[in-house]
Amino acid sequence: MRIGDSLPEWHVEATPTFVISTAIATRDFQDVHHDRDLAIKRGSKDIFINILTTTGLVQRYVTDWAGPEALVRQVNIRLGAPCYAYDTLKFFGQVVERENQELTVEVVGRTGHGDHVTGVVKIEVPA
Amino acid sequence: MNAAIVGIGATDFSKNSGRSELQLAAEAVRAALTDAGLEPSDVDGLVSFTMDTNAEIAVARELGIPELTFFSRIHYGGGAACATVQQAAMAVATGAAKVVVCYRAFNERSGHRFGQVQTAAAANIDNSWSYPMGLGTPAAMVAMFARRYMHEYGATSEDFGRIAVIDRKHAATNPHAWFHNRPITLDDHQASRWIAEPLRLLDCCQETDGGVALVVTSAEHARDLPNKPAHIKAATQGSAVDQFTMTSYYRDDLTRLPEMGVVARGLWKRSGIGPSDVDVAVLYDHFTPFVLVQLEELGFCGRGEARDFVASGALELDGDLPLNPHGGQLGEAYLHGMNGIAEGVRQVRGTAVNQVGGVEHVLVTAGTGVPTSGLVLGQG
Amino acid sequence: MTDKSAIEKEAARIAERGESAPRLARDPVNLPMINNWLEAIGDQHPGYTEVAPPAMVQVWTMGGLHGQRTSDDPLGAMMAILDEAGFTSVVATNSDQTYHRYLRVGEHVSVTSTLEDVTGPKKTALGEGWFVTTRSTWYVGDEPVAEMRFRVLKCRPAEKPAPQPEAPRAQAIRPAINRDTEYFWEGCKQGELRIQRCGGCGLLRHPPGPMCPECGATKPKYLVSDGRGVVYSYVVHHHPQVPGKQTPFVVALVELDEGVRMLFELDGEPSIGLPVEVVFTKIDDELTMPSWRPRADR
Repeated sequence: MRIGDSLPEWHVEATPTFVISTAIATRDFQDVHHDRDLAIKRGSKDIFINILTTTGLVQRYVTDWAGPEALVRQVNIRLGAPCYAYDTLKFFGQVVERENQELTVEVVGRTGHGDHVTGVVKIEVPA
Repeated sequence: MNAAIVGIGATDFSKNSGRSELQLAAEAVRAALTDAGLEPSDVDGLVSFTMDTNAEIAVARELGIPELTFFSRIHYGGGAACATVQQAAMAVATGAAKVVVCYRAFNERSGHRFGQVQTAAAANIDNSWSYPMGLGTPAAMVAMFARRYMHEYGATSEDFGRIAVIDRKHAATNPHAWFHNRPITLDDHQASRWIAEPLRLLDCCQETDGGVALVVTSAEHARDLPNKPAHIKAATQGSAVDQFTMTSYYRDDLTRLPEMGVVARGLWKRSGIGPSDVDVAVLYDHFTPFVLVQLEELGFCGRGEARDFVASGALELDGDLPLNPHGGQLGEAYLHGMNGIAEGVRQVRGTAVNQVGGVEHVLVTAGTGVPTSGLVLGQG
Repeated sequence: MTDKSAIEKEAARIAERGESAPRLARDPVNLPMINNWLEAIGDQHPGYTEVAPPAMVQVWTMGGLHGQRTSDDPLGAMMAILDEAGFTSVVATNSDQTYHRYLRVGEHVSVTSTLEDVTGPKKTALGEGWFVTTRSTWYVGDEPVAEMRFRVLKCRPAEKPAPQPEAPRAQAIRPAINRDTEYFWEGCKQGELRIQRCGGCGLLRHPPGPMCPECGATKPKYLVSDGRGVVYSYVVHHHPQVPGKQTPFVVALVELDEGVRMLFELDGEPSIGLPVEVVFTKIDDELTMPSWRPRADR
């Protein structure tokens, strides 16, 4: 795990089931995350993933790569294009800093509409 | 023909290129020239599609190509793909030009999407018999043929789906493919939503932003260049009786693509080979049903037998007729067939990611349902 | 007083209130919710049996299905002000979470919030809007365990034409008509389905053209069809939307008794071989559209 290391590309299929089950599991009951008719009425193309789920996915992407011993210290994300139902969300990542056991990983999650999320995750790995 | 493809180039294939179509064209042409070991100043001919928004002179300006002695455009959407190479080869053979670059570049996903209803196209008088009635997308126009084909030959949606499964399987191992690492199963195909019955979402090609370019020159000139040339053994266009663009619904038989039959006869005659000599088939796959009909028109199997031919495994990489090893337009990218020609070149060179062994001849076809074209590429 | 200064004044007033009172999570940190989260996210991390995934911190204090904001919640108060000013849409733009330690099963967290910043109005891709930034701190007892800076964009939706739930026929694509085809559309207006017939050899032809491909004559006439035929092929169109049509709808290619094929929309359950007849619908004074319906006598 060195500066410049790339994380393996990871794809998430944002099926309606995925969008809805993650919204409910994060206790986010905003209609745009589970009711397509209302989402469209509000000007969206479809239901879309909520921000708590994006945070969760970014954390999972990094810990899947770093292993279960890594401790997550910080997840900072900025949202861009919504990730709608039926989108494929592709994650890319790279180690950008390392200080002793503390690593900083930059993460991008991209759909066909553009960057859904750009983020920075700080983790602590065992010596 | 005394001509060969000596360079291929492409941009990345994406859903949102973030740059102009002219930039995509210029990047693809420059990449193809670099691949060919040539300079922009070596180019004196350019060919593209009528549908391309990038004028030859604009591309020449960006590349710094000083003078052109030949420029040409081909009509009928994706049917133009192989015909651009035919134009280039004829130009080279007649001395109209020495080095001709064929290109196609568009923001077909982030910009103008062919899959949507093109209300502007309704101004065409031929389209007055389809668009106002609600038939206004390529998928729906192909679906009309597909329904009749199913009725006459007992083909099913699963028979169409097998083409998608093969393309996606090949794309899954092609890092340049949009659907790299994402194969599908027949169940996935059957579960995908209807677009225009009997076509499902996974019967339809993707929409892509990107560009592809091909460099054509004479066989003699090709000998002095770094890459193994892909010789143009035959190239032809084809249009048939009572031809329309996508809506040739008034012929006796709706289960055929007679314009592809014209291409097939021309290719076999001019190349001196037949269907059994083809080592790799790059067949235009904007919609799966027309891949089945092409197999029949090109003589790989009898009428109505394509579904059995496909189910036999013949189209797998280790089968009798490996289909679209790059993943086709369903799997790699939709570049109006030009990415398929580039794959044909790689298969002849022996440099494809899903390389088929001992390739002597590659067949490439262009858009179906429209006046079309085809190529046989081969070793020297 | 302008909108801008009014909003800024309200923002300052809310910010001055400082930290809201601690709000207790509905449930203590618990395994069922952790497992639901892991299942939905697809995370197979083996370590979350006694501690929760850190990214779940906000989940514990979400308002829930019928949740209402507390009266001193600064984000809720700021949103209400912006709603009133016409900035009615909301999208989350940033979430920066710092975890001081992992939360253990059984711990009961509470959360407090302050309003950190309100900036605007700014032009964004989604319309003109205000960025509202809050800072939340989660506590177990008096111990801060996690913090978050959260930013939302409250914007005035960009002007868009109102969505049309009904698709009136007038919006449908109109046919291009020229000298060679006007006899057909004129026929529709008069309730006649016309088939081009060559004035030289009598060939019936559809779609029509100015010169007979059989005999070369350029004096096309027409006959009036009985308007009856059978479905030769059809499409059920689902996607994308088509101007003036409600999806799904059927387009059928019909072989007329006279021998030519014509393609119109079909109002009915389609099948190949289905007997149909033509009907005409007046769109306006200039245009009448033909379509098919199943024949009553079939």
